[in-house]
Amino acid sequence: MTNEWVPLALGKDVPAETTRAVIVEDRELVIWRGADGQAHVWTDRCPHRGMRLSLGFVRDNALNCLYHGWSYAGGGACQRIPAHPDLNVPASIRAGVHAAAEAGGMIWSRSGDQEAALPELPDGTPVCSLMIDADHATILAVAAPEIRLTGVQLFSLRHAGADIHIGWHKVQAGKTMLHAVAEGGTAEAALLLLRDLRTKAEGRAAA
Amino acid sequence: MTATEDRVALDQWYALGAMQDFRAGEEAVTRLLGEDVRIRCSTGGDIAVTAGTRKLPIRTDYGHLWTSLGSPARPVFDLPESREPDRRAVHCGPVRVRASGLRLIENFLDLAHFPYVHSDILGTEERPEVARYEVEQRRDVDELWATKCEFFQPKAAAAAAGGQISKYMYRVVTPFNVMLYKTAPTASDRWDVIALFVQPLEPALSIAHPFMLVIDDTSTDAELIGFQQMIFLQDKIVLENQRPLLLPLQPGRETPTRADLSSVLYRRWLKEKQWRFGVEEPTAIA
Amino acid sequence: MLRFHDYVLSDSCYKVRLLLGLLGLDHVRQPVDYYPGREHLQPRFRTLSPLGEMPVLEDDGLVLWGAEAVLCHLANAHDRSGRWLPREAEAFGPVMMWLAFAAGKLQALSKARETALFGAEGDLNAMRRQGRAALRVLEDHLTDRGLAGGTWIVGETATIADIAAFPAVALSHDCGIGLEDYPALDLWQRRVRSLPGFVSMAGIPDYF
Repeated sequence: MTNEWVPLALGKDVPAETTRAVIVEDRELVIWRGADGQAHVWTDRCPHRGMRLSLGFVRDNALNCLYHGWSYAGGGACQRIPAHPDLNVPASIRAGVHAAAEAGGMIWSRSGDQEAALPELPDGTPVCSLMIDADHATILAVAAPEIRLTGVQLFSLRHAGADIHIGWHKVQAGKTMLHAVAEGGTAEAALLLLRDLRTKAEGRAAA
Repeated sequence: MTATEDRVALDQWYALGAMQDFRAGEEAVTRLLGEDVRIRCSTGGDIAVTAGTRKLPIRTDYGHLWTSLGSPARPVFDLPESREPDRRAVHCGPVRVRASGLRLIENFLDLAHFPYVHSDILGTEERPEVARYEVEQRRDVDELWATKCEFFQPKAAAAAAGGQISKYMYRVVTPFNVMLYKTAPTASDRWDVIALFVQPLEPALSIAHPFMLVIDDTSTDAELIGFQQMIFLQDKIVLENQRPLLLPLQPGRETPTRADLSSVLYRRWLKEKQWRFGVEEPTAIA
Repeated sequence: MLRFHDYVLSDSCYKVRLLLGLLGLDHVRQPVDYYPGREHLQPRFRTLSPLGEMPVLEDDGLVLWGAEAVLCHLANAHDRSGRWLPREAEAFGPVMMWLAFAAGKLQALSKARETALFGAEGDLNAMRRQGRAALRVLEDHLTDRGLAGGTWIVGETATIADIAAFPAVALSHDCGIGLEDYPALDLWQRRVRSLPGFVSMAGIPDYF
């Protein structure tokens, strides 16, 4: 990830007290949401023995590792080690925390230090996140000329009087995830358009 | 995949499977330390193991076929319990795991995961504390031992009826072979033996050969094997999701606590041996 | 009296274990040494199940083999609510269709799992590709259902269509496929896991 905000998921796809694994440019990240509604994006790795935190469980506002139940508070600090219930956990034991924000129905993250503005997005109807076996250049080429690039990893498509806002992130070479929110129109109509985009992009990628 | 040059790893005995799985007149191909290995069983029942054109030494201890790609300094480790006539020898079937075999051994030595990975069986979240235990490197035999381990278990074994505090001892005989000794549910003065013989195919791909020598004359084979397989498959989802896949030995890469004494000693032992197969290369750290 | 011939690591057997738990049905469990013992291929087992197929359910003299048949029987004969196998025309056909899918195309994941775990014969990469294609079909369907306000494969409540598909999805890690690419499946499998009477199995990354 870069200093720019990258969309990773739709907010509705990470309900309270759940985790969601995402892969961004071959790096494993975990999105999780506490009972308080706060979304977090962390490196998907427990510092104890390297277990992926995305397979863990959220209780209240803490993410717990599946392997030994180590419990991490929202800021990333490990607050409890069940094997040693009386231990004051050293402050140095922490999960890898990334910046996280929600806007326009999507969950965004970034890895830089400098200030960066979140894209301006209206509140629309979340449609879906869609995995496409093609890189973003192919997808954008197939969607042209109807697309308007509205951000670094954001574009919109006009369809039947509605605007469909599509954030994307690169999963790995040749694989991209789209995250779509419809402004006006129906989510079903937007979904048909996205599936058509998927078919065309994958067809071109396979050719 | 190229064959390893890790001399220390090559000069060891490795299990390739249970003798009963190699049938007369059949041939099997497997991998060991990055090399293809062929196992031929003649119609008369004689077994020959080769790597390329090289004939490899073999042993048949404890109902398993053992081989080496190098020259082991010693025979296969001794397992005296195998000579006790009232024990049942149970082969639980090889299982492939996409992880470094060293991670499999470490997981086998670990107690703190019982309440979370084997919930309501080998542990419960209501009693997660790992009491202090002892570890020892027995340099005369070059083995690692962990003793005086204890853990409350709701269902300690197939034949267990109700919870018990299980006592454990662990014995690591080579970097890829380990056994645990556990209070037998039906004979509290004796130990059940559960062994894990790991066959490292590639640095991040292993076959586990689980084996048991137990005091139990009531459970069927299906029950004993089913119980052990269930435990192992619960561990497998963890093993395949540890990052990195290879075992990191550089300080600061992972964070042990007092409950991890066995694994701390195991990693120190691997470093002493300058073991490389299955270990994260220092230059690989991003 | 229900006697259920079961193998703890089998995803097919798990379909039935799961429904037995969700229906709260008492039963006798008969463990079978499927691997490494291959007990299911022995003549004695084949008198119950001629192809050695598992699971097998005996219900007061009736003998059934194969997960989908057992699921249908349990829902038909032992579910007073009638929800698990709905009879109305707009639901019955779709449930059968998705059962056939679970027994058909989705089985690529089961075969991939068996190959990944036990080194069974086969092209693991091809099976995984077929498995992903099947997962995509289910993902798209659940996305459609989600937009229509539905949360289950068919109808307003969970049916045996959900139970038949669940193991392949929940155990996808065993053959190296995670749910990162399938957000609708991810949400759906969590809902299945919260059903009252849910029972898990080894290999499902599960803790509450």
